[in-house]
Amino acid sequence: MAARLMDSIQATSIVKKFGSVTALDGVSVEVAGGELFFLLGASGCGKTTLLRCIAGLETPTSGTISFGDKDVTKLPPHKREAAMVFQSYALWPHLSVERNVSFGLEERKVDRAEIRKRVGEALELVHLAGMGERGIDQLSGGQQQRVALARALVVRPKCLLLDEPLSNLDAKLRIEMRREIRRIVKEGGLTAVYVTHDQEEALSMADRMAVLNRGRIEQLGTAEDVYRNPVTAFVAGFIGETNLIRGRTLEVRGGFVMVDTPGGPLVGRLTREGWVPGPGEEVRLSVRPEAWRIDPATGENGITGKIIERSYLGQRIQYVVQTAIGSQQVVELNPLLVREPGDEVVKISARHSDVVVLEA
Amino acid sequence: MNRKAAITVTAIVSVLFAVFFLYPAVSVIGEAFRLPDGTLTFAFVGDVFRNPVYREGLWNALALGLASTLATFLIAFPLSLLSHRYDFAGRGALGVMILIPLVLPPFVGAIGIKHMLGVEGSLNALLIDAGIMNPLSPVDWLAKGRFWGIVAMNALHLYPILYMNITAALSNLDPAMEQAAENLGCPPARRLWRVTLPLAMPGIFAGSAIVFVWAFTELGVPLVFDYTRVAPVQVFDGIKDLSGNPAPYALVAIILVISALVFGVTKALFGRQTSGSQPRPKGRGGEVKLTGLRSLGCTMVFSFVFLVAALPHLGVVLLSLSDDWYQTVLPLALTFEHYVDALGDPFVVPSIKNSLIYASGATLIDLVLGIVIAWVIVRSTIKGRALLDALVMLPLAVPGLVLAFGYLALSQEGRPLYFLIGKDGSPAMLLIVAYAVRRLPYVVRSAVAGLQQSNPALEEAARSLGAGWFRTLRKVSLPLIGANLAAGGILAFAFAMLEVSDSLILAQQTEHYPITKTIYMLLSSLGDGHELAAALGVWAMVFLAIAITGAAVLAGKRGGLFRV
Repeated sequence: MAARLMDSIQATSIVKKFGSVTALDGVSVEVAGGELFFLLGASGCGKTTLLRCIAGLETPTSGTISFGDKDVTKLPPHKREAAMVFQSYALWPHLSVERNVSFGLEERKVDRAEIRKRVGEALELVHLAGMGERGIDQLSGGQQQRVALARALVVRPKCLLLDEPLSNLDAKLRIEMRREIRRIVKEGGLTAVYVTHDQEEALSMADRMAVLNRGRIEQLGTAEDVYRNPVTAFVAGFIGETNLIRGRTLEVRGGFVMVDTPGGPLVGRLTREGWVPGPGEEVRLSVRPEAWRIDPATGENGITGKIIERSYLGQRIQYVVQTAIGSQQVVELNPLLVREPGDEVVKISARHSDVVVLEA
Repeated sequence: MNRKAAITVTAIVSVLFAVFFLYPAVSVIGEAFRLPDGTLTFAFVGDVFRNPVYREGLWNALALGLASTLATFLIAFPLSLLSHRYDFAGRGALGVMILIPLVLPPFVGAIGIKHMLGVEGSLNALLIDAGIMNPLSPVDWLAKGRFWGIVAMNALHLYPILYMNITAALSNLDPAMEQAAENLGCPPARRLWRVTLPLAMPGIFAGSAIVFVWAFTELGVPLVFDYTRVAPVQVFDGIKDLSGNPAPYALVAIILVISALVFGVTKALFGRQTSGSQPRPKGRGGEVKLTGLRSLGCTMVFSFVFLVAALPHLGVVLLSLSDDWYQTVLPLALTFEHYVDALGDPFVVPSIKNSLIYASGATLIDLVLGIVIAWVIVRSTIKGRALLDALVMLPLAVPGLVLAFGYLALSQEGRPLYFLIGKDGSPAMLLIVAYAVRRLPYVVRSAVAGLQQSNPALEEAARSLGAGWFRTLRKVSLPLIGANLAAGGILAFAFAMLEVSDSLILAQQTEHYPITKTIYMLLSSLGDGHELAAALGVWAMVFLAIAITGAAVLAGKRGGLFRV
């Protein structure tokens, strides 16, 4: 498949209501041509609804969707050329692998020789060459997943839509398929929108992602951006694990804030553009478990506590430290020593840049 | 359920089946292969095929079966598709209403048809009044269109079976199957042909097989249409003279083989679980909510089918109310006299009582057997359960006539089932057994569906808390599948009340007649017999309409009744 840049996708101010329930509440995203874009969120946040709106399987209550310069909001799904990979794969059991893949080409009245050639290429791309004659029932879950992908890719769609494509696979296969899908999308220069609730999947694959919560976009950005600079407490908690600490603003200075917590003052940085907490305003601090250091030499910007729990996870050790600001999750990677839970007082601290100050 | 209980149940059910189902069925077929001295012969079967009258009867029965199935499909498929794809005004109520014709007894409807399409009927009267037809040479529509008349009656009676099957098949489909086709550029009409129809095939064929065998072996409708050159009627006429002629027996054997073949082939082709369906399809269906004219259009289509299907029965209602209906479009005067007369008739009241007793007895047996059989099939792990499953479905493949025949022969004095005949020659026990055997599949199917849908963990939880298996069954399983059981039970009861073959053949003294045989008898009596029969028919229909509405509501869209 020749690498070529596909259309961009713009969804503008999409509102979707099901009866009295608002699934999408004014969502706008723009996916650049050739970008692998993720919609991430908990179940019920509206991510699948947005994807289905792009595919044309749902009609937005208001808002517009365009591919490139073309407004497709009113276009029925079979004229959109947005190929979708379904969560259940939706492979037709009455057709062979080959016939499943050739379906879209037959609909496009492509001539037979061309169909055969392109189906062959598509199956090769997903490493299923020679399996064309098989029935869908004779394939494993991972193979079915690849057929679904080939079926969507073979029609050279304007964009590729993936609805939790890996959620029915086992853990190991899932990791293998992540690489596989990213490779295919990038080799083909495809514009792809990928829906998942698995933040690890999003972090490892996405060019950019949108984190959705209750029908709204909480944050848009690259994986690194969203992980390191969360702009809301929801994003901080949803992407990766974090410790959220309540406190009140003491002092703001050049993008950094000193916050008064029950365990003493902590300094953190601001991430959300245009937001600065007023003096005495209640805020929340987000500290990643791996940002806490136990008993460091400096000991600055920290609090004291006791280790009450320990889980050994091989490459890392996870502690729970009881402090005046509640129990804190602490992770040590490749640790020099394994600490014992007990009455010994330890100090945990974090760099100023590793503490993020968020709206309460 | 523990293994021992499962094996015991399987053994008991097998024995019951062997005695009350296989034995009578085989004994009937045996007659066809036995010379008077007991040696095996295929000569009689050969004779049937050589006899042009029987050959014609078989061809006609096959043609009736095929034409009826096709006509049924043409009615049922568009309806299922409409209710699957669109939401329109009154869909819920109409979806239940169009099931009602299934329990409207077709041979009662045939009385109405006669009064509307007969030489002196409404249609001719209408045409004469309009000046289109010469009153001196009216057309006998029934004699002209006898074959298609029966096909129409069958189709309008049986389409709910197919409708229920196709609707269940469609609603079990993963909606993503259709959406994927749409997504790949397939417009709606082609999607139907390329994806929806092939995926719904198992449901279509499961329903079609039942419809075909039903129409192929139908006795009541051809009898009323006076269509004697069809195999089931030939069999019926053949035993009435009790001359020991083996030909009707051979004919029965052939009917049975054909029916079993149809079921067998269907099951072999489409019986396996389709992977296009999931136990619980995820995602939203592409159901479109219609408004305005389109919604009204769908409502009209459903109402129209119901009205046409119920038309013969409306004729029956009119007839039952008519004082004088002869050579006019509608009766000249209406009266409630026939209802009063019917209740005063020496045969009518006892026949209602008889039918109630027979049908209740049969339903009770079916419920008890159905529950334990379903439990073995779904919850136990013993080897024979697949066999048991197939065994209890067999009665669907065996024409009612065949069994009726077998019971008749085996319940003669000195034969093994003579003990079922009461002291005064009452066929009550025999009819209850006969009704029960043929309705068991419906109860088993619905109980199996119920158990499959309910999580076994709920039962395991009860067991782990110390409840024995019987207590678990009573306290947990039964309440969970109560709706399914009620649906299956009501259906079994309704069909038992309407049973024709066994009733006509096995009830021989008037005081033991069930409703159906009384109606048949009244039809052939002079005077106001037709009106009395119609009045009795109306009573039965009102009652059965309530029953099927209840069953449909309880079973829901995915009830999966009527499946092979």
